[in-house]
Amino acid sequence: MSASDDQADVERVLGGDISAFEGIVHRWQGPLINLAYRFSRDRGRAEEMAQEVFLRAYRGLGQWRRDAVFSTWLFALATNLYRSELRRIPAQSTSLDDIAEPADARACDAGLEERDRDSAVRRAVWNLPAKYREALILFYFHEMDVPSAARSLGLPEGTVKARLFRGREILRGKLPQLLAVPRLKEA
Amino acid sequence: MERLVRHNEDEINRILSRDDEILPSSGFAVSVMDAVRREAAAPPPIPFPWKRALPGLLAGGFALALVLVAGVVAMVQLGRGATAPQFSVSLPSRMTPILGLQHNLAGAASWTVLALLLTWVSVKFSMRLASGRV
Repeated sequence: MSASDDQADVERVLGGDISAFEGIVHRWQGPLINLAYRFSRDRGRAEEMAQEVFLRAYRGLGQWRRDAVFSTWLFALATNLYRSELRRIPAQSTSLDDIAEPADARACDAGLEERDRDSAVRRAVWNLPAKYREALILFYFHEMDVPSAARSLGLPEGTVKARLFRGREILRGKLPQLLAVPRLKEA
Repeated sequence: MERLVRHNEDEINRILSRDDEILPSSGFAVSVMDAVRREAAAPPPIPFPWKRALPGLLAGGFALALVLVAGVVAMVQLGRGATAPQFSVSLPSRMTPILGLQHNLAGAASWTVLALLLTWVSVKFSMRLASGRV
């Protein structure tokens, strides 16, 4: 995925060649759908939201200032839309209290599959308050790059770092036994 | 303790970094391009006719300001009228016209409230019409 390809396609679309937008769709459909899926956990809805992002991107191509990389602009647009869509119609979620926590960490050590633990952590993230969840989703989506997450969210890096810290704190508080398992192994 | 926190953070990073990836469905790009072509073919949205609406908006604003001023004046007069009973005790012959004035002002205030309500309803309705929600 090169920034110059995006720029060339954008110039062509703005020049009236709509078919050039297909290149943008092909390059970014995967990342946009996956980002939407991380927000909604619903494949159908993820594709609907990603389609809406492409439409808005098409309408607003002229507003993209060349001082930022196209993908930065596109992800900020997508993040904005996904957040507002999920505020409008929240995704179905399970309560944090519904997440099974073993009474004894040793039992957990013995019985809980790694996959189940991963799933529990993901569900816990999904049930965090929106501002922490969004920061975590964007941070991991951008492969743990705080500046990229901050640009997508339109927030200062310091705010994103604080939200990541607080989000992890809540996770640790909510899943102490799940996350403490390897510690017992080490001990 | 610090080691535990570090370990937990690594653990969270490890788990959340390998989130499930999904692939776009086969017709997704085609469907997006169809929507984009429909969008391109659609006529541009009709802009709000500010030039035509401006005189009406100005007249409406002026009328609203007048109503507000009239309302405030009426309230002030009503407030002054409320002190009248002090005099009416010693001057019973003047009580009737003061009560009459109070009655008139109360009527004016209710008309003012009604006018404000009507203005509010018409503005709301126009905005809904303009946004195409009716």
